[in-house]
Amino acid sequence: MSALYELPVFGLTLTLAVYLLSYGLYHRLGRPGLLSPVLVSVVVIATVLQLTGMPYALYLEQVALLTLLLGPATVALALPLLRNGRALLASAPAVLGTLVVAGIVSISVTVAAMVALGADESTLRAALPRSVTSPVGLTIAESLGASVPLAVVLTLVSGTLGAVVGPALLSLMRVRDERARGFAIGLTSHGIGTSRVLGESTVSGGWSSAAMVLNALAMTVTLPVVAHLVTG
Amino acid sequence: MSRAALLPPVLLGLVVLLLAQMAGLAATALLDLPVPGVVLGIVLLALLGILRPTRGVLRAAEPAATPLLAHLQLLFVPPGVGILLELDTLAANALPLALAVGGSFVLALVISGLMLQALLRRQDRRRGEAGGPDAPPLADGTDGPGRSPGHGSGPSAAAGGARA
Repeated sequence: MSALYELPVFGLTLTLAVYLLSYGLYHRLGRPGLLSPVLVSVVVIATVLQLTGMPYALYLEQVALLTLLLGPATVALALPLLRNGRALLASAPAVLGTLVVAGIVSISVTVAAMVALGADESTLRAALPRSVTSPVGLTIAESLGASVPLAVVLTLVSGTLGAVVGPALLSLMRVRDERARGFAIGLTSHGIGTSRVLGESTVSGGWSSAAMVLNALAMTVTLPVVAHLVTG
Repeated sequence: MSRAALLPPVLLGLVVLLLAQMAGLAATALLDLPVPGVVLGIVLLALLGILRPTRGVLRAAEPAATPLLAHLQLLFVPPGVGILLELDTLAANALPLALAVGGSFVLALVISGLMLQALLRRQDRRRGEAGGPDAPPLADGTDGPGRSPGHGSGPSAAAGGARA
């Protein structure tokens, strides 16, 4: 088995093939939120690594190309921000007020739950960036000295939660304004939630992706300060 | 611009994105800024896109940015798989993590949704009054004419949510 996974192209082939299969499955099944391609791919590939005994460090080395592309892909987030930013600019006070309040709620609930239930500090640090879109959340986790995989997985879980129950929960709370719906989803469940509400309406999708980037920018500045205050 | 049109668009876009990232990383390193370089790269590219003389830069980035963003999720598969090494931490902290993620998700979602909806309604109403006495009170002035996101699409959006 090790002869197979020691081939330099094994990791990339496996990753791309599994992603394509789960992407196809996701679309064939009518985009169920729970089966988002990234989540299915992570589970399948992690299982393959477990079964073959391939060391994670070796896998990571073989998919360096993907890790490298994360940088330019993150910078590309400027495009959805600009494309959808103009509509938000007209409502800047409402948008910024909501951004600040939601940020405070999200951070204080996270910190309170983790501290009250006695989670260790490094786990708390990894939980902080969970509402931030993964590329930026990953960078924040790095700068906080938190476990990057844990932060990424918590972010993916949060996004999936948003895609699965977010729209229904908002309807239950009588949030019917397409702009507010999109913004709330983008703020809490970033890219995965955004792709879900894009199917609902383009207005929601635009507000969602702008909220996602704004939240990422705000959290980048805020979270290091919070982490410093909480964990000293 | 005409000369740039001869270059392969995807590669040109990738170089633009990489340059923005490098500028951000360099600024962070040289000036010892607390903000990650990639995030500065986003801000830099956004600024270039806003300013009229440099708007072409954003257009040049687009052919690479669009496919990268469409499959952004693929790029998180490798770090996500790393959770294998963290399964013990995850299991040891399962309850606080579930509560922190679930709780902050639900509260932030509901509060931001309700708050923004209320603020936007008030803003629309005020603008409706300013626009003239016969303007409909909740008509939306920002997302284009003839659209009232608050009401027109409410039922369909709710139905979409119910289906999930």
